[in-house]
Amino acid sequence: MKHLDSDAVDASIAACDLTTGCITCGDVAIPLTVLRLDEERGLALCADDDGNSETVEIELVAPVATGDRILVHAGTAIARLSEEASG
Amino acid sequence: MKYVDEFRDPALGEVLAGEILGLVEAGRQYKFMEVCGGHTHSIYKYGIDDLLPANVELVHGPGCPVCVIPMGRVDDGIALAHQPGVIFTCFGDMLRVPGSEGTLLDAKAQGADVRMVYSPLDALRIAKANPDRVVVFFAIGFETTAPSTALTLKRAKAEGVGNFLCMCNHVTIVPPLRALLDSPDLRLDGFIGPGHVSTVVGVRPFEFIPAEYGKPISVAGFEPLDVLHAIHMILMQLKEGRCEVENQYARVVPYDGNPRALQVMSEVFELRPHFEWRGMGFISQSGLKLSEAYADMDAELRFEVPGIRVADPKACQCGEVLKGVIKPWECKVFGSGCTPERPIGTCMVSSEGACAAYYNYGRFAREREVV
Repeated sequence: MKHLDSDAVDASIAACDLTTGCITCGDVAIPLTVLRLDEERGLALCADDDGNSETVEIELVAPVATGDRILVHAGTAIARLSEEASG
Repeated sequence: MKYVDEFRDPALGEVLAGEILGLVEAGRQYKFMEVCGGHTHSIYKYGIDDLLPANVELVHGPGCPVCVIPMGRVDDGIALAHQPGVIFTCFGDMLRVPGSEGTLLDAKAQGADVRMVYSPLDALRIAKANPDRVVVFFAIGFETTAPSTALTLKRAKAEGVGNFLCMCNHVTIVPPLRALLDSPDLRLDGFIGPGHVSTVVGVRPFEFIPAEYGKPISVAGFEPLDVLHAIHMILMQLKEGRCEVENQYARVVPYDGNPRALQVMSEVFELRPHFEWRGMGFISQSGLKLSEAYADMDAELRFEVPGIRVADPKACQCGEVLKGVIKPWECKVFGSGCTPERPIGTCMVSSEGACAAYYNYGRFAREREVV
């Protein structure tokens, strides 16, 4: 991972601003959709509704399948969203 | 967006607000605490308090993990960041939290290698990419975040990553709630319970609130209708003379939480005898440290840290804000000496902090005409 320079850090903090909330700092979790699974390593590539993707720990909600909706906090899926709820 | 839009429907919000108005008794004051910083954020962002009757007051609880970090712990983190060969990693909000002599961002400006991460897994990646350095992850958060740290430490151990350490500041939600309920200067009529903490711990741990203290609680989601619905549920309990734990967020929160998350937490962490909370002092068994099995990954054991307790700045009233005794704007330095750009107290730092949320969304609304 590239070492963030100060400007990049400042920019990131601006992104983690007071209007959007910060998913990692508080009791906030976001619904993501599973795109691809790496079952051997217990990881999944997931995306939010805007198409932003991240690698997520899925051990706590496994097994999951491609297309499942999960609730993610700090890079870890903490709950599965029911089909009815997630659409 | 499905799963979100229906919980932000203004028409339904007005219906709920109307029903809430019908549930309150004239002449009675209601004071409910939203425990979680995420709720504080939603309340201000969506103007929920403006929809409530004048005699329903929401007070903000201690549920922002950044806000409850005492200055001494920030100093300890900065000391670790200055150790030769250390890459210090933490979540973004922590970078701006003031210690007694500056922030982690200041430490970075002075040459310390401080990097922001979005997850513990990011920090582990940095450790793998820098095998000749020691990576310290500043772990912070309630039971929502603790499983993520635990899984990453477990993963690091399994993969033999020997240069990944953790400075553990994880805290648990029940002890500070007990401390609040035992506090004589705060009269509360009910609680809006933390939604995502409860996905991990379930709703069972909150049963003591109605059972021992006679207060209703509704565990709630974070969309505006979730919060309004939870207030409606609490008022309904009070009207009907009931007192129990209700789960407004049942679409996500199972009664028993996530047993796998609880299991991995109990494997990796153990309770500290006591832990200091900003503004609330030391609370017994409220903080986590790494268990014996993971002691070799404990940054506080590997390096020497000052471990000195530092009193909060005199002007700062975060303690009273965190306990819900005063509103953010009642603090002497709110919006003048203390702003999100230059915070004095932690409540002004985190997006979940009551002062920052209020500064950002509510500062012009407090003299509203109440319905």
